[in-house]
Amino acid sequence: MTVEGAGARVTEAGPDRIDIEVARPDLQAGVRAVVEAGARYLMGIGYDDIERDGTLGLVHTFSFDRDDVFACVRTRAPQADPSFDSITPLLPAAGWSERECADLLGMRFDGHPKPKKLVLADDWPAGVYPLRKEVPHDLVPPAAEDVAYQLDAAPPGTTTVPVGPFHPSLHEPAHFAVYVDGETIKGCDYRGFMTHRGIEKLCTTQVSYNEVPFIAERICGICGSVHATAYAQAVERAASLAISRRAEYIRVLMLEIERIHSHLLWLGVAGHLIGFDTVFMQAWRIREPIMWLSERITGNRKTYGMIAVGGVRRDIGPEVAEDIRGVMDATEKELRALRAAIEHDTAIHRRTKDVGTLSIAETTRWSLVGPVARARGVDIDARRDHPYAAYDDLRFDVPVFTEGDVWSTVLVRLVETFESIGLIRQVLDRMPAGELLVAPPEAIAPFRHAMSVVEAPRGEAVHYVITGEGNRPERWRVRAPTYVNLQGVPAMLLDEQFADFPIILGSIDPCFSCTDRVTVVDQSSGRAHLWTGSQLSDLSRGRATGA
Amino acid sequence: MVAVNLLVFLLLAPFYEGIIRRVTARVQSRQGPPLGQPYFDLLKLLGKENIDAGGAWPFRLAPVVAFAAMLVVVSIVPAAGTATVLTGQGDLITLVYLLTLSGVAVLMGAFASRNAYATIGASREMVTMIMIEPVLVMMLLLAAIRHGSLDLAPLVGGGAEWAWSTVIMALVSLVALQAFVARQPFDIAEAEVELLDGPYIEYAGPNLALLKYARMLKQMFYAYVVVAVFMPATGVAAVDLPLQLVAVGVVCAALGLTGATNPRFRIDQAVRFYAVLLAVSLGAVGLVLGGY
Repeated sequence: MTVEGAGARVTEAGPDRIDIEVARPDLQAGVRAVVEAGARYLMGIGYDDIERDGTLGLVHTFSFDRDDVFACVRTRAPQADPSFDSITPLLPAAGWSERECADLLGMRFDGHPKPKKLVLADDWPAGVYPLRKEVPHDLVPPAAEDVAYQLDAAPPGTTTVPVGPFHPSLHEPAHFAVYVDGETIKGCDYRGFMTHRGIEKLCTTQVSYNEVPFIAERICGICGSVHATAYAQAVERAASLAISRRAEYIRVLMLEIERIHSHLLWLGVAGHLIGFDTVFMQAWRIREPIMWLSERITGNRKTYGMIAVGGVRRDIGPEVAEDIRGVMDATEKELRALRAAIEHDTAIHRRTKDVGTLSIAETTRWSLVGPVARARGVDIDARRDHPYAAYDDLRFDVPVFTEGDVWSTVLVRLVETFESIGLIRQVLDRMPAGELLVAPPEAIAPFRHAMSVVEAPRGEAVHYVITGEGNRPERWRVRAPTYVNLQGVPAMLLDEQFADFPIILGSIDPCFSCTDRVTVVDQSSGRAHLWTGSQLSDLSRGRATGA
Repeated sequence: MVAVNLLVFLLLAPFYEGIIRRVTARVQSRQGPPLGQPYFDLLKLLGKENIDAGGAWPFRLAPVVAFAAMLVVVSIVPAAGTATVLTGQGDLITLVYLLTLSGVAVLMGAFASRNAYATIGASREMVTMIMIEPVLVMMLLLAAIRHGSLDLAPLVGGGAEWAWSTVIMALVSLVALQAFVARQPFDIAEAEVELLDGPYIEYAGPNLALLKYARMLKQMFYAYVVVAVFMPATGVAAVDLPLQLVAVGVVCAALGLTGATNPRFRIDQAVRFYAVLLAVSLGAVGLVLGGY
């Protein structure tokens, strides 16, 4: 491919990455050239280079899916005048990345169609940019009163239905102002990021390289291994560290167990969202043995703590392998019955067919990823397009449907679950012997850029790491799949029925915590009675197994 | 006899609700709550604080009117063919009006609460009422035409003559029953995931208990009407009543089963469905006028 911008400097940053350094005025031209060469937008990263050369850096990353190549368009602006040309009019999917850079680093984007706050709280003081190096990670500015986000004006003739911040179809805090005319949705505005944890800041100031995977796992309650693997891969690339084949196979195993678990969880939630709780109960019943299995493999039902920089932390012995095979056989059998029941249920067709339809063109325009894209005829899957871990050794199909409605996303996920079971069997059959953990080098050269993608159950997760001094990253940027898919939701909602709002939003399997990058902690009810660990375990096991 | 009617309905309505919940749970591989759970739910709500969200009088009045209307309905219905003191005071039209009054009270309360979800829920409920109440009227009209009177006593007295029109109407009413009592897939007005209980969202404590109780009474009443109109009767109340109550239990189990195996309708889909029901029930009335 040829990428030519006026004065652009193109460097091969590795076998699968090209960096394109452009001068600030040429940013749009550079981005346009990459897009015209057939690239898909991933995310934008801003970073603070003030200490070294007094500039703020900006990287727009792209993927050439067919060629397994990433393209990074890099530019910088002096601290005194941190303004860039917005690429959002060209690429709507870049909208959030630019707003985030504006919030966190104080950049300005000329020509941005919606230059509002995205990440920061509405009462955050002006002129304090949390990702700048001079701002401490534990800064708590005083709260201001009477500051509120200004939602978009409702289109004429519509009423506003607030969905959120706490609403049963969301499960996590986020606010949608849905503009309805009768029962028809005429638009919607989103305000989220209500529980932003500042994980990226924390990991660039307080911890070391090898502690980050455990924090990365807590980005999301479901895709824990996904984020840990993506981060570990990025650091391994920056350090040119090759991990053992066995560790790569075990990573695949954990990722696929996570996918089965996540798809079953989604199927249940989707059933609940169309008012069909029986699907919810049955899907979660089938999911439960997967969680026990995870506990036997890793010690945890979720948030496994398996992945570290340099490999994995536990082995899969022959006994555990047999255990996994048994659970997979049982799950496959149960899943077949569930799939048959769902596929032939006309009542489910009624609620999901021709709902949330989006054309291929719109899907590409918004850079949607994962099952949402594959249900709309966009054939992308990071496991196949940018092979990582042991996926280049394994055989699997990537289901793609073209109807582009919610029903197709159901089908994509159902088929994928069977593919995952097949992948796990292949892993058990072919896993070579080898070391689990390779010790990372004493020091990783600073200021190297590295990125990696991992196909999470919801779509592709992208991590970008700039190595730093002091045994920790200089900048770490995470883009969870929901981050892009959520930007496409207003397009899916347009002219649909309000009753379909839950399932359309649900069809992207929204994970607000990934997007916000937050953990949710349950507070105890404050009851005086205390359960011991063994009592609790007896209680849950006894109930769940019917013993 | 009014006392017997009231006692039977007030005592058993939560029990039938319990049956439905239990059946639903079994379909979902769950154990389900004890059959008495709805009684405890009501008791718990009665012990809580009434929150007056709307501040408007229709909001405060709605639960009382909805409940009172249902009390009158169950007082005038001739259970097991036995007329009560009040049966003669009302007829088929009174019955339909009272049922509608109970529904309208809920609507008024919902609109008065000025809650966005309640408003959407209430407008859905209104559409449902407009479409589904005529089916009830047709069902009762068919019986009235057969008996040549609008009086309630012979009408709900059981022992309908079996003819084509009766068979069709029995089937229609069994399907419509699910919509009358707003159970899945027709719980469109409450639509938990998008409207959070719709018309009932602003209610709490004893007011909510009254509304819930009224709904349970309505559910039992509709199930009972279907049984009483179409199930053959012996004519001896002491035998008929227990048999009918068992049949109501069976009908409720069917309600639970249907609810647990169907996703919720969207209102536009439901309206098309109701239109078909209405057309078929009109056809059945036409048949009975033609002597079939």
